[in-house]
Amino acid sequence: MKFKSRKKEQFFWGYLFLAFPLLLLTVFVFFPIGFAFVVSFFDWNMLIPDKPFVGLGNYIELFQDPVFIKAIKNTIIYTLGVVPVQTLLSLFLAFIMNQKIRGRAFFRTAFYIPAITSSVVTSIIFVWIYSKPGLLNYLLNSAGVESNIDWLTNPVTVLPSIMMLNIWTTSGYFMVSFLAGLQNIPASLYEAAKIDGASQWQQFWKITVPMVRPVTYFVVIMSLIGCFQVFDQIFIMSSGGPDNASTTMSYFVYQNSFKYFRFGFGAASAAILALLIFATTVIQKKYFPPDAY
Amino acid sequence: MKFNIILLFVAIFVIGCSEKESVTRYTSWQSSQTEEKIIRSTLSDFDKVHPEVAYQFQPIPGNYPEKIQLMLGTGKAPDLFWLKGDTSPAYMSFDVLEPLDPFLNKDTAFDQDDFFPVFRDAFKHKGKNYGVAKDFNAYVLFYNKKMFAEAGLDTVPTTWQELYDFSKKLTKDKDGDGKTDQFGFVIEPSIDIVMPFAYQNGAEIIDEDGNVKIGDKEFIEAVEFFMSLYRDGIATNPADMGAGWMGDVFSRKQCAMTISGAWLIPYLRDNAPNLDYGVIELPRGKKKSTLAFSVAMVIPKQSEHKEDAWTLLSYLNGKEGMKTWTESGIALPTRKSVAEENGFYDDPVYSVFMNSVKYAKLYKINMQERWFDESQAAMQGIFYKKNDIGETLKGLAKNLEKYKLD
Repeated sequence: MKFKSRKKEQFFWGYLFLAFPLLLLTVFVFFPIGFAFVVSFFDWNMLIPDKPFVGLGNYIELFQDPVFIKAIKNTIIYTLGVVPVQTLLSLFLAFIMNQKIRGRAFFRTAFYIPAITSSVVTSIIFVWIYSKPGLLNYLLNSAGVESNIDWLTNPVTVLPSIMMLNIWTTSGYFMVSFLAGLQNIPASLYEAAKIDGASQWQQFWKITVPMVRPVTYFVVIMSLIGCFQVFDQIFIMSSGGPDNASTTMSYFVYQNSFKYFRFGFGAASAAILALLIFATTVIQKKYFPPDAY
Repeated sequence: MKFNIILLFVAIFVIGCSEKESVTRYTSWQSSQTEEKIIRSTLSDFDKVHPEVAYQFQPIPGNYPEKIQLMLGTGKAPDLFWLKGDTSPAYMSFDVLEPLDPFLNKDTAFDQDDFFPVFRDAFKHKGKNYGVAKDFNAYVLFYNKKMFAEAGLDTVPTTWQELYDFSKKLTKDKDGDGKTDQFGFVIEPSIDIVMPFAYQNGAEIIDEDGNVKIGDKEFIEAVEFFMSLYRDGIATNPADMGAGWMGDVFSRKQCAMTISGAWLIPYLRDNAPNLDYGVIELPRGKKKSTLAFSVAMVIPKQSEHKEDAWTLLSYLNGKEGMKTWTESGIALPTRKSVAEENGFYDDPVYSVFMNSVKYAKLYKINMQERWFDESQAAMQGIFYKKNDIGETLKGLAKNLEKYKLD
């Protein structure tokens, strides 16, 4: 084949290799995302051929739906609770795992295992741990704290309990990201700090934290998105109960789309969720950019 | 060149997708291997009687309602499938099911009047039949005979008052540590456990004319009685015991009585083989009532093999097919003649279910399925947050107005 310039040739071959994956992505990702927005303006019931256009009707109804308002509230509480704790914990774990301590490989594995275990499995295990005769109450009672509640059917404790589970499962995953970041920090920085008489604590805050900032940026964004979309744990552990105390936005989307035959309404709530995630990411990018040290 | 090859693949893929289904497809969900074995043996009997009907049995292993919904929406629905009774009102109101009346009128051998009245009209909507009740289950009372004997009880509870008194006598602190370790009864804050009590008190969730009745005095009274069992410490709740469901509490011998359907029988056989239990009809309130669950076999409007689908439906739910399906006791027959033939009226356990059918109400509420989650949330509010019963139910009644189907 003849090309007019080298650039054109590169262009052709580049896109040729990309063509098939792009086609797949278009069919299975880009088109459905766009289509979901379209659906959100219709009263879309799969089973009825007549799908009337309702404009912003679904959105207006959403904000009058007390369950949806509760779902937004729960999702935000969940995210605000999980993301900071998870980020700090995984950074802290990575910092320790980066030291030369005995059994380092064992601990690294142990912290990472929850991340590769199916969320269904960990959820079921935690259903038992949180039950009234479960491990958590047993440990609390052994430690002298009187506790006799079922953590997952108590409207006050259900959401924090699921948050704890999520922190535990994903901290190990982000720990690995931080570990990679830590290993990129030149040892000379620490040596210089030591010569200047900086303590471990000072080294952590003045060198480690600023140096892993790009990783922190990545971790915060990923865990924000993950938290906003939390579904499996809710689905398995509490089904959104009791009294919608743990209904989150994705659970609401699922319920409306697949159980109540209201795809339009479900798509509208998914659009709000997408908007929320988008807005948070933009804010983060603007005010906490990855390389501002 | 290379593009052409890719195009060819895409074309094959597309053609493969749009190929017409040439045989009748029959679909169910899968709950156990025993069940599937019986289904297959019923089908092989069918093959002998109707070798001319070409069909395929394609069970769906998981996410059944979602899959059926998508199949119906994309015009790929099986020609004959199972539909849970409680989800059926939406399907009937969305007009996706074929009315079976022409078939029922033509196929006289099917003998619809052989069905128990509550199941004969189970899937009637605006005067048309949209499904055949393939089997049923009903709430009855299971009790632990040993615990009854230990408490010196030689009768069984037949009224609400007796249920309360018996529960009180059966609630014990056996090891004397100040904590109750044997409860008389077990309840769950679930609307379907409350419903029999409400029905017995003359209440309803929604009446035949479409008025929501869940906030009425009768309903509130029933929930108050129900809650008093738990509040007074003579009934427990599965979550308190770290159990999965009420039958689990019963099988662990932590309560003396429980409401359950026949699904508890195989569970007890596997998990508590030594438990000596009895089964009785639910204690009565103002009147006798219980909740019956049923599954419909339906033919979708879009099916292109309705005749064959009916032949299959008619055999599977006919006297022969239903007998093979139910004689092992895995499911309960909706036909009177089959129940008699199976000897279920003489069986101490099955006869209780058969007698309950006379006054049972079908678990099928003519509302969008959200009514269930809203009611469930209300019950959980009453149970876990100690919300006021009357206020909650009145609020719920108002809320449910939105979810009525026509």
